[in-house]
Amino acid sequence: METYLWITSVWGIYLAAIVFFGGMAWRIYEWSTTPKSPVRLGMFPKPKTKLGRFAKLMKDTFIAPQSAKIEPTMWIFAFAFHVAALGAFVGHARLIHEFPFLPELLGEAGMNTFAAWSGSIAGVIMLAGVLYWIARRTYGPFKNLSVPEDYLLLFLLLGVVTMGDHMRFVYGDIVHAATYREWFLSVITFRPEIPHELLASNVGISLGTHMLFTNLFLMYFPFSKLIHSIGSFSSNLVRSE
Amino acid sequence: MDAQQLTTLAGVIDKKMNRQLKQYIDICARCAICKDACHQYVGTGDFKYLPARRAELIRQVYKKYFDKTGRFVPALYEARDPDDNLLDELYDSAYACTGCRRCMYYCPFSIDTAWILSVAKAILIAAGRGNEMLGQLADAAIFKGDNAEMFNDVMISGFEDIQEEVRAITGNPESQVPVNKQGADILYVALAGAHSIRPAAVIFEEAGESWTISMFEAANYGFFYGDAEKARLITKRYIDEAIRLGVKEIVVPECGHAYRVAEFFYEAWSKEPMPFKVSHILEKVDQYIKAGRITVDKGLIEGKVTYHDPCQLGRNGGKFEEPRDIVKAVTDNFVDLTPNRAEQWCCGGGGGIVAMEEFKDVRLASGIKKVEQLKASGASVLACPCENCRLQIEELNEVHELGLQVWQVIDLVVAAMPLKGKKPMQA
Amino acid sequence: MSEENKIDLELDLKGLLCPLPMVKVSQNIGKVEVGGIIRAVATDPGAMADIPAWAKSTGNEVLQAEKVDGQFVFLVKRVK
Repeated sequence: METYLWITSVWGIYLAAIVFFGGMAWRIYEWSTTPKSPVRLGMFPKPKTKLGRFAKLMKDTFIAPQSAKIEPTMWIFAFAFHVAALGAFVGHARLIHEFPFLPELLGEAGMNTFAAWSGSIAGVIMLAGVLYWIARRTYGPFKNLSVPEDYLLLFLLLGVVTMGDHMRFVYGDIVHAATYREWFLSVITFRPEIPHELLASNVGISLGTHMLFTNLFLMYFPFSKLIHSIGSFSSNLVRSE
Repeated sequence: MDAQQLTTLAGVIDKKMNRQLKQYIDICARCAICKDACHQYVGTGDFKYLPARRAELIRQVYKKYFDKTGRFVPALYEARDPDDNLLDELYDSAYACTGCRRCMYYCPFSIDTAWILSVAKAILIAAGRGNEMLGQLADAAIFKGDNAEMFNDVMISGFEDIQEEVRAITGNPESQVPVNKQGADILYVALAGAHSIRPAAVIFEEAGESWTISMFEAANYGFFYGDAEKARLITKRYIDEAIRLGVKEIVVPECGHAYRVAEFFYEAWSKEPMPFKVSHILEKVDQYIKAGRITVDKGLIEGKVTYHDPCQLGRNGGKFEEPRDIVKAVTDNFVDLTPNRAEQWCCGGGGGIVAMEEFKDVRLASGIKKVEQLKASGASVLACPCENCRLQIEELNEVHELGLQVWQVIDLVVAAMPLKGKKPMQA
Repeated sequence: MSEENKIDLELDLKGLLCPLPMVKVSQNIGKVEVGGIIRAVATDPGAMADIPAWAKSTGNEVLQAEKVDGQFVFLVKRVK
């Protein structure tokens, strides 16, 4: 298991980070060096002021009210998924540093309970979102429209979320943030080591698999449709031009 | 098709590439939220009309030829050649599209499917498979522009006939349809049809406007055909005329795409700033009414009146309120369609589709949402600016026996004006 | 001149607004043989420029374009 963890949760992270950041930089470079359309592609209603356009951009990108209106179910799942993913991402910040104020406010045990609850909720919502999207792509026009890329991403995401949830729900009471933090800090400070607590219990399998999927997911990210995470800002801005 | 031909066709994408297009192709998540936004998909349930699918065809070719990841693992994206199979589907999805951009309105990333389809049309044209009818209409318009003197006499005699009709309507023997009037404030670029000139002339004359009529029409089949160069040449005819006459403003008729072409596309095509302002006729009429330059009486129009936003004028042109204000000025019995303004359903007649017989079935099927809206409104009169919309809605009116009177907005205005002459028949 | 021309197809385009008369002529030209003649009657004056322009740009021939009793009568010959 130690080898598995070294591959997935140390060297894999370095590789994924290089590919992810390099890929995203390449994407942004490609976009920014392609000349803009000479035709204004905006549509109405169109805010007249810069601030108005910015506000509309934020609203369209983060809330997508028009999408909510036309397909509420899809919107609820998508919105919940993205919020949960953001929550999970923020929660993972505990891997680097304990949140300010919160532990003092809640106490060590309280903080772990809070993290357990919020992490569990986020994990369940993300799982529900992924399952919803997989189900949606199995029938009718959604199936016809889907290409292997869609299923690959959902498969990777399912792996990430399932193994994350596994760690949360099965080992949540056994292994706490401090242990993971020790490992993660060692990786990002380039003095990698695997703590004994991780090797002592079977959590290592979950962590390793969680990281395996995460690394694959992140490495594919810049080369997939997931770049809507950055591209949607400029495409939504064009709407007001 | 051999490999060389396929590469040439795919190369069209590269030639037309720009940042927006690249992002649209790169970021679409195929969530299919656009499915229920498209009147053609909703009306037919045919997969090829699903907006994301239409765009997907271009994406598949792009992935195969120009995208590094697509070239590395083509199977992941179902990347493919622009072969005959693809072109067959592309022809239907691109030329049937009315360019209403309702899918863009609802898309969480605001992907402009119509913009992607402009590349589709360029590919089809390069393959010699551009729509023949639209191509002919565009060529005829360019021919008229290149040989203007050939048509001078018939045009002027046509305008003289219209002038007689205008005088009969206004009851004023001095009313004019000014031709080639140097230094006029406004150049009115109508459609070829007299119906677009007659009521506008009545309004301009009654408002005491300094105007002159264009020898050319504002309709632009080059735009629908998908050839930016043809579209530019067609627009250039009246832009040059406006420069020659030294006017301050170009006014386009009710026609939806004419406004969009003049206001949003021409400068990009010609790469020159336009030395005058472009206005839509209904902006002017709204101003005349509000400024008291023309008088309209309420009560002359009978029945409940509703209004349809043509996509190119509303969602894509930003003229939501002016036409409504005009209609509300001529009647107290106004009811809006639901949904309306930016969310207005496309009637199904845009993008030149009314001129293409082969799409008649999908066109009529795609009008079902409009029919539902019209029925639900309970209106007996529809004010509808765009020519294409009107042709489509008149046909829907007949097929579905809606018993609706379909009017141009300017005809409605003339009918509500207390004029000394005889009331004109509805166009 | 219309006397010696045999009409192969009659098109009633009365009431149609431009450019529809031109569209209808174009849609129907394929229905007559090369050398065949369509007689079209329109009421929109715009057709007087539209139909000849269409014929010139598509390589067909307008044998006659005349105003008769407030209507516009065209004889269009299919050349290719």
